[in-house]
Amino acid sequence: MVKRPGVPTNSGPRSRLSIRDTLRTAATGPRSRKLRSALSALGITIGIAALVSVLGLSSSGSADLIRELDALGTNLLTVEAGQSFGSGNSSLPVDAPARIRRIDPVYEVAAVSKISGGVYRNDLIDEGRTQGLTIIAADLNLLDAQRGSISQGQYLTSALQDFPAVVLGAVAAERLGIVELSTARSIWLGDEWFVVVGILNPLPLAADLDRAAIIGYPAAERFLDYEYEPDIIYVRAYAEHVLNVRSVMSATVNPEKPEEVEVSRASDVLEARAATQSTFTNLFLGLGVVALLVGGIGIANVMVIAVIERRNEIGLRRALGATRFHIAMQFLTESFFLSAAGGLAGVMLGIAVTVGYAIIQDWAVVIPSYALIGGFGSSLIIGGLAGLYPSVRAASMSPTEALRTR
Amino acid sequence: MMQSSTTLDQSFFDSSEEFALQLWQVTKSYDGTPPVHALSDVTISVKHGEFVGIVGASGSGKSTLLHVIGTLARPTSGSVFINGMNTDGMSDGALSGLRSQDVGFVFQEFFLISGLSAVQNVANGLLYSGVSEAERLRRSEIMLDKVGLAHRLTHMPNELSGGEQQRVAVARALVHEPSFVLADEPTGNLDSRSTESMMELFYSLNREGTTIIIITHDREVAERFPRQVLLKDGKIESDSALA
Repeated sequence: MVKRPGVPTNSGPRSRLSIRDTLRTAATGPRSRKLRSALSALGITIGIAALVSVLGLSSSGSADLIRELDALGTNLLTVEAGQSFGSGNSSLPVDAPARIRRIDPVYEVAAVSKISGGVYRNDLIDEGRTQGLTIIAADLNLLDAQRGSISQGQYLTSALQDFPAVVLGAVAAERLGIVELSTARSIWLGDEWFVVVGILNPLPLAADLDRAAIIGYPAAERFLDYEYEPDIIYVRAYAEHVLNVRSVMSATVNPEKPEEVEVSRASDVLEARAATQSTFTNLFLGLGVVALLVGGIGIANVMVIAVIERRNEIGLRRALGATRFHIAMQFLTESFFLSAAGGLAGVMLGIAVTVGYAIIQDWAVVIPSYALIGGFGSSLIIGGLAGLYPSVRAASMSPTEALRTR
Repeated sequence: MMQSSTTLDQSFFDSSEEFALQLWQVTKSYDGTPPVHALSDVTISVKHGEFVGIVGASGSGKSTLLHVIGTLARPTSGSVFINGMNTDGMSDGALSGLRSQDVGFVFQEFFLISGLSAVQNVANGLLYSGVSEAERLRRSEIMLDKVGLAHRLTHMPNELSGGEQQRVAVARALVHEPSFVLADEPTGNLDSRSTESMMELFYSLNREGTTIIIITHDREVAERFPRQVLLKDGKIESDSALA
């Protein structure tokens, strides 16, 4: 190889470092300082785990809520008397159910009425100790309107509704201490013993009914001295017409004083619950992001220390032919390794938390893919940002300075 | 003894490819008040296959000379030729490439990477020269055998004695077949027995054709070197090759 002396040349040999060798070289640092590397990656792990599990839990939870909503339907309207202007409480007209049935898209109408008096285990219990339970008279199609189900026994039938027979809501049964109906049980409804013929499962769209002892209208009139007057009317209409039905409801029920009729959609309550949950989700996501940032600062800190500690290694590598770029890539890749390891552990921890909690809650596990990809991706971004300053600092170190030992 | 720079001028450029290293009127100053002149007008030529000792007390500019020869620092003025190639105005990347091919460093403190085995440390000597990993390891094993450490391939640095660690470092400096080995106080951290066998290693490598430049403050060690260059206050006081 003959080179003309005196002529500056840049066409000499070039330093080279393959991607594989870059990765291998970058892995040496964390490998020989395992504990420190693990601790520095922990912050990222916690941040990513928080993000993934919060997103996973809220998705699993809202998937569950949507399934519940689908099962219960969003086409249930609740009609009751609102506040009247002036004096006293207003009430629904006696013929309200019949009027509502005349609205075309309506296919189910079930009325219930509160009946004064308490619900007691037996006739010896003090009258004041009602345990918050109420007596309610209901139509036979109440369960259909609520899409409710029977836990034990049966619901009222056209035969049973004339007799002192009662069906208990889920909470009422629990408070009365009636868990099974294999032997005949009776309860005291103020004036009369009623035989318990069934226990309902909880009704998510009408929690009031869970705390009720439900009897038929004929029985109420015969045994409890009650005069018919509907308090709440549950209405099912075809889903696509629900809003129209709702808009004509007040005027249909009480043409003279439509303002005294209150119409609500039961599923709105569940949807409001979902909205509340998403507020909490946002809060926890914010916390996760903060944890992630703190984790990134932790990695930056460890990398800065590594650059100072491994000054001699940097000098040696420069002497062996590493370019500034090679040095920068080594430390940047090392930072990526730490954050990627932390991110991967965080994703797995987040999945584990979600699956564990979903099993406890009896939910189907739903973890959105953007949570997984975004979680891991953001750990890489954090790693890149955290490694930027230390790697530039390592690269700009002069080789003679880096080789100094004293 | 001092050769005038004008007489050197001719021979210096005419036959530069026979030299492993040439320094031409190199000066190196550091800014400050007053400015420090670490090297002034240093001119040295080292032919392929030579064994040169550069001897100087501390503060004589030894370290600066080492850095300039090794292209880790640029001279303030003057030229450095390595293997006949002028390094003036070379970019940082080009100098790195030159080091990866033509310079083999041996340091007083060994500078082995603690997380890597002996053979992996030696292979680092080829890491930046574009040789495949399998080839790097193959050549490193041969080189470790050459320095007498064939039985220590997979040992970690902390499992090796000081003398053995320095042999690993020598193997690392040789594995890419540089134009010259540049050793900075290579026996400075070794006991007398290890020093003796380390020098034996350098002599035997030199006999096989390796160009060796050792920088040391130890006149006793340097006494046996075939050629001695004496450095004092940043100037060359004597060069036995020019005597």
